[in-house]
Amino acid sequence: MTAHETVPHVLIVEDEANIALALSTVLRREGWTLTHIDDGARAMEAIREARPSLVLLDVMLPSVSGYEICQQIRLDPDLAETRILMMTARGTQMERRKGLALGADAFVSKPFDLREFVGEVKRLVGEAQHA
Amino acid sequence: MLERLARLSLRLRVFLFFAALAAGALAILALGIWAGLARLDEAGPEGAYTMTGLIVGFGLVALIAWIWLMFDENVARAIDRLAGSLRARAHADVSHELKHDHAIYLGDLAPAARAVTGSLTETKSALAEAVERETTRLAIENARLQALLADVPAGVLLCAPDHQIVFYNGPAAALLTAEHAPGLDRSLLDYLNPAPVRAAYERLSLPERAGTATDLLCATTQSGDVLAGRMRLLDLPQGRGDRPGYVLTLRDVTADLALHAGREALLEEVFERVRRPAANLQTVLAAGSAREAQGRAALLAEVEGLAATITDLGARYDAARGGWWPMADTRSGELAEAVATQAGQAGIALAVEAGDLRLQCDAFQLVALLSHLAERLVGEHEAHGLSLQVAAEEGGALLSLSWTGPVLPVARLEAWLGRPLEVGLADTTGRSVLAAHGTEVWPEPGPRETEARLCLPLALSAVGAPAGAAETRRAVYDFDLLDRDPPGALAETPLTALTCIVFDTETTGLLPSSGDEIVQIAAMRMLGGRVVEGEAFETLVNPGRSIPAVSTEVHGITEAMVTDAPPIDIAARRFHAFAEGAVLVAHNAPFDLEFLRRHEAGIGARFDHPVLDTVLLSAVVFGQAQTHTLDALTDRLGITIPPEARHTAMGDTIATAAALEKLIPMLAGQGITTFGEAIAACRRHARLLKDVNDPERVPA
Repeated sequence: MTAHETVPHVLIVEDEANIALALSTVLRREGWTLTHIDDGARAMEAIREARPSLVLLDVMLPSVSGYEICQQIRLDPDLAETRILMMTARGTQMERRKGLALGADAFVSKPFDLREFVGEVKRLVGEAQHA
Repeated sequence: MLERLARLSLRLRVFLFFAALAAGALAILALGIWAGLARLDEAGPEGAYTMTGLIVGFGLVALIAWIWLMFDENVARAIDRLAGSLRARAHADVSHELKHDHAIYLGDLAPAARAVTGSLTETKSALAEAVERETTRLAIENARLQALLADVPAGVLLCAPDHQIVFYNGPAAALLTAEHAPGLDRSLLDYLNPAPVRAAYERLSLPERAGTATDLLCATTQSGDVLAGRMRLLDLPQGRGDRPGYVLTLRDVTADLALHAGREALLEEVFERVRRPAANLQTVLAAGSAREAQGRAALLAEVEGLAATITDLGARYDAARGGWWPMADTRSGELAEAVATQAGQAGIALAVEAGDLRLQCDAFQLVALLSHLAERLVGEHEAHGLSLQVAAEEGGALLSLSWTGPVLPVARLEAWLGRPLEVGLADTTGRSVLAAHGTEVWPEPGPRETEARLCLPLALSAVGAPAGAAETRRAVYDFDLLDRDPPGALAETPLTALTCIVFDTETTGLLPSSGDEIVQIAAMRMLGGRVVEGEAFETLVNPGRSIPAVSTEVHGITEAMVTDAPPIDIAARRFHAFAEGAVLVAHNAPFDLEFLRRHEAGIGARFDHPVLDTVLLSAVVFGQAQTHTLDALTDRLGITIPPEARHTAMGDTIATAAALEKLIPMLAGQGITTFGEAIAACRRHARLLKDVNDPERVPA
């Protein structure tokens, strides 16, 4: 896709405004395009429209859970190259397995170290660019 | 000639014998006179008389000596043997036919004795049959009760008023065992902290508490595990004074208490570690120092610390989550079959492929959850061809519920998990079952394109080998102990009331003085003249030296078998604890005891128990002239030892114990009923074998 040659697009699905703001601030420094959605119900629509390289997906969302969005992305063959990073405040080993089994490319527990998090995001964006 | 003689009647034979004696005497006399007369010419009358006298004298002595020998061999000894055999049949249950070949010169005595013993056996067996019918009925009832008590998951003990153990089941033994196992007629207070037990007994003895039970909490003396118990007095006609015995049920609450304590500690730690950074943050922010670089650094450091703390505490909470819920050891096959049955009742065919894994779970809840999911899949998702697989995976097992059809949307699954399950408990949903098991469930595409599945990981059970579970299923008891009189001085104790440890050892050779050592010890407990089934001691011992091939040939113990066995100091210390307060019994006890006594310093205990030796008891019963090997003794007593068990420590222990069981009533037939009398009788056979009892501790 031609979009891959241009600026990477990262879509943040997160209902907590403070976290979303912080993530946007950090990632904008990388020069990427960022979109923020705070409602799970609108997420799929936005993803299909924007075709982001990476989706930062919170597990606990109002109305539709992050797991469900993750599964829907993976069930859509058009979105096969989209990378998914799931984030949760309660990251037990079982939730991590569930997330990865449903098709997430990475799974991080909050609170996380911002530098490590940015490293992980860069890795996934790089993968999506060269996919 | 002798053959023909043996057929004549005993009276005629005795008459002929004495006639022969008279004839012999006359013949010697004639010979003497003839010899004297022949020498009359050369030696004169003095010489002739002397000659006659000498010939007649020596001739008569020789004749009488020969007659005595014949009588001793064929009459006195034969009577002795016959009497011994008769006693064996009269007092012990020896039923094989009397041998009479060593009493052939006693005329009809041996056949007559045989007839008597034969009819005795018949009478006995007729009586025994009648008794047996009744006994079988009682035994079946007893076995039912025993099976019931053996299977009660709680520890159950029955004790006499002086706290001696009269009954215990497998779980009770497991709860009380640390270094050494509990046994009948041992004091419960050796295993449990005495004060709470005594206090509970006193509480129940108050008149106003009659018929009630009381709860107690006590620790085991050996391991310090905390047990919750419930005590109730036995409302039975009592033998030992007026005080009743009691029943004690025990449950290990160490784990429960530890879990509670652990949660309490975690909660406390959460507040401790979160309060300080939270307060610091507030102070730093309120001071407005966040605008300065230094202030920002401080803020960041606090926040980083707080985040790390929460991550750490959260991980620890998750690891301990679900630990409070009672999880049983469940076989995967049974779980899967139960789900299939449950689903079958809702009209759903469910194929099962479950292997044999042992899962740590609440089977009832899981079955409810899985069959609920199967029903929803068929009813709301149009799934068909359902199957349930349980497969081992790293660190646990993976349950997967597969079907032909599309993948299940997570949202639908979450909705199903939120519905209440029919498990008889309020507020139980699929979600709560998953939380109690510390697990999750998620949908996945199946291995084939048309298939899909739900995955549910579970922990495997941490229990040991199934042999351990089988071993704990037992109930050991001797209710006679409840009515027994308090024990008096050892010498006056009846043989039937002794607590005995029958034991045997296998060794590297026969000479402890030249460095031979024990390689195996086996022992059984006998109470009231009977072996206590279920209380046995058996251990291999590392001799700390090589085992000669000739010895291995005897007992079958190789060097490889004893490499991991405990050394004699430890093995013998455990044996000493097992034998505490009992009389030691062995066949040729001085031999076995010498091996043990050489190591008393290392063991830290003395083998100064009173001792009974079955070699000496055999001599007392059957006479010293008999052979007294274990084989000969067991053969005489009609005890059969399987050849493969012979010369194993346990096989010989069983044989020795069986011999003692039969010797005790035979000794009683000779008027020997107490331990003191038995030892006195044994000491008369010191020529055969030294009595190893300390003369000061066990006076004759």
